[in-house]
Amino acid sequence: MSTDDDLLTGGAPVPAAAGPTAVATAAEADSSKRTAGPGRRARVLPYLLIAPSIAAFALLLGYPLYLNVRISFQKLDLAELVQRLTVFRGLANYRAIFSDSFFWSVTLRTVLFTAACVGLTMVLGTLIALLLDRLGKTMRLLLSVSLVLAWAMPALTATVVWQWLFDTQFGVVNWLLTRLGGDFTNHSWFATGLSTFAIIVAIVVWQAIPFVAFTLYAGLTAIPRELYDAIRVDGAGAWRTFRSLIVPVLRPLFMITAFLSIIWDFKLFTQIWLVRQGGPNRQTITLGIYAYQEGIASGHFGKAAAISMVMVLLLLTALVYYIRTMLRTQEDV
Amino acid sequence: MRRKSRRALTNLAGVLAIGVFAFPVYWMFATAFKPTVDILSYTPKWLPVPFTLQHFSTAIHRPHFGDYVRNSLVVTLSAVLLSLLFALLAAFAVGRFNFRGRKAYLLAVMIVQMAPFEALLIPFFLVLRGVNLLNQLPALILIYFIFTMPFTIWALRGFVISIPPELEEAAMVDGASRFQAFMRVVFPLLAPGLVATSVFAFVTAWNEFLYAFVFMTDEARYTLPVWLSSFRTAFGTDWGGTMAASTLFTIPVLIFFLIVQRRLVSGLTAGAVKG
Repeated sequence: MSTDDDLLTGGAPVPAAAGPTAVATAAEADSSKRTAGPGRRARVLPYLLIAPSIAAFALLLGYPLYLNVRISFQKLDLAELVQRLTVFRGLANYRAIFSDSFFWSVTLRTVLFTAACVGLTMVLGTLIALLLDRLGKTMRLLLSVSLVLAWAMPALTATVVWQWLFDTQFGVVNWLLTRLGGDFTNHSWFATGLSTFAIIVAIVVWQAIPFVAFTLYAGLTAIPRELYDAIRVDGAGAWRTFRSLIVPVLRPLFMITAFLSIIWDFKLFTQIWLVRQGGPNRQTITLGIYAYQEGIASGHFGKAAAISMVMVLLLLTALVYYIRTMLRTQEDV
Repeated sequence: MRRKSRRALTNLAGVLAIGVFAFPVYWMFATAFKPTVDILSYTPKWLPVPFTLQHFSTAIHRPHFGDYVRNSLVVTLSAVLLSLLFALLAAFAVGRFNFRGRKAYLLAVMIVQMAPFEALLIPFFLVLRGVNLLNQLPALILIYFIFTMPFTIWALRGFVISIPPELEEAAMVDGASRFQAFMRVVFPLLAPGLVATSVFAFVTAWNEFLYAFVFMTDEARYTLPVWLSSFRTAFGTDWGGTMAASTLFTIPVLIFFLIVQRRLVSGLTAGAVKG
């Protein structure tokens, strides 16, 4: 078993969403006990069992993906769509988006947005995990419940509620900041791109922290108390304890949660769209919103498909890197 | 002395964190039950006293509300059932048999699990348009089915592995066929896992906004998320109505999430500890 598996089975509340990747690797280790049925039927049976899911994946994901690649090489606007024309034009869509400075600023913005969300999520998530580890029983329970509430909120309602909190006239945040000494009476948070983005990042991070915090906290509880004592006898302070004990132990969990956060935040749509539909002045448009606006809203399907391909390829790069690292840590065992 | 102040500092941080995470959720509930005069007040009224159900009544009595609830339920439940059926077969295969290509299959499921489905909006739109399924609930059923399946396969696989194969072997020694052994021995033991996994898939499909928003343009075909997103523009700044609608939409998710949280944890960790 690899180290991250042991951590996750530490008995602490392993978050549900950690399942697909984190826990799965744990399950990998003990799947050797499969029954080896005799005869030909037993050899064919597993293939029959996975066949429906493979067919579904091929039809409902493989085909659309193939189509997306194809469309990205076509001139496909509303006119061609209505007349059912197939006009291939090579790399023209890609050339068009790559020579468009707006596309580059959207791409850069998406990357920066993702970096801001993931960075804040990881730092604050770690702090909350450490806090959970140090709080007394009652406080820990209360904080856990609060975290679960924030985590469980649908992204949609979370966004609506945060908009209400930051409402210009009657928002609690403006009231609070004014009470604390600033003058935020009738301050509009959604007037500039940067400020709007800040709110979106806050919403995303608020909802993403619980998953990271719970996962890391599960890892923390697996560290034996004796190790803390030993390192303290060595004369280590809080920071060195963190650096040379906690970080190495939690590294696999940091990897998993950071990577999942990258994936989730990079392709974000709902929150950004609901806050200002990419506004004000198209300043909060990210790649996901851009593909939607070019494709569905403006009817430039070929161009939108090319934008989507850039998204897929960027994420795929991250994915390949991640899976390689995952496989390598498993081989280490 | 130093220890005491450190303790106090930790607790202060704890209180602050609890406030940050719990307050927005509380504020949604509180606003939903407050009379409009108290909502539109320059100094916040912290408690929903006096108390009103006016906003809930406004939300429910908007046209098509019944349709939206029904659409959401039909789409979500159908997708979850399909996903469970397909995933159960696959999970049994990868959890019980050692066959060639098993690793590759699992790796593929893992990749698909993380794929950016949002990027497939355009081809889905064109395909659905081609087969006249735009604005039809089955379109969403198929999409949510395929979105939730990878996770469902992963999770169920964990649950299958946690059931000792010796139990089936014993049943088969006693003369049961593999199918009978599965139905009578594995399936009942799998029930809690099935519940947890399907609830998780349910929440995913229930919350989905982008595809429902793009593909369901006919108002009678909206799902609840699309309804909720249209609420604010339709009502201007009726925050009471918006918060009441949000509350109605969120409550089932909160309840389900609390159930899943415990069940899925016990199931998954049971599967993992066994090795």
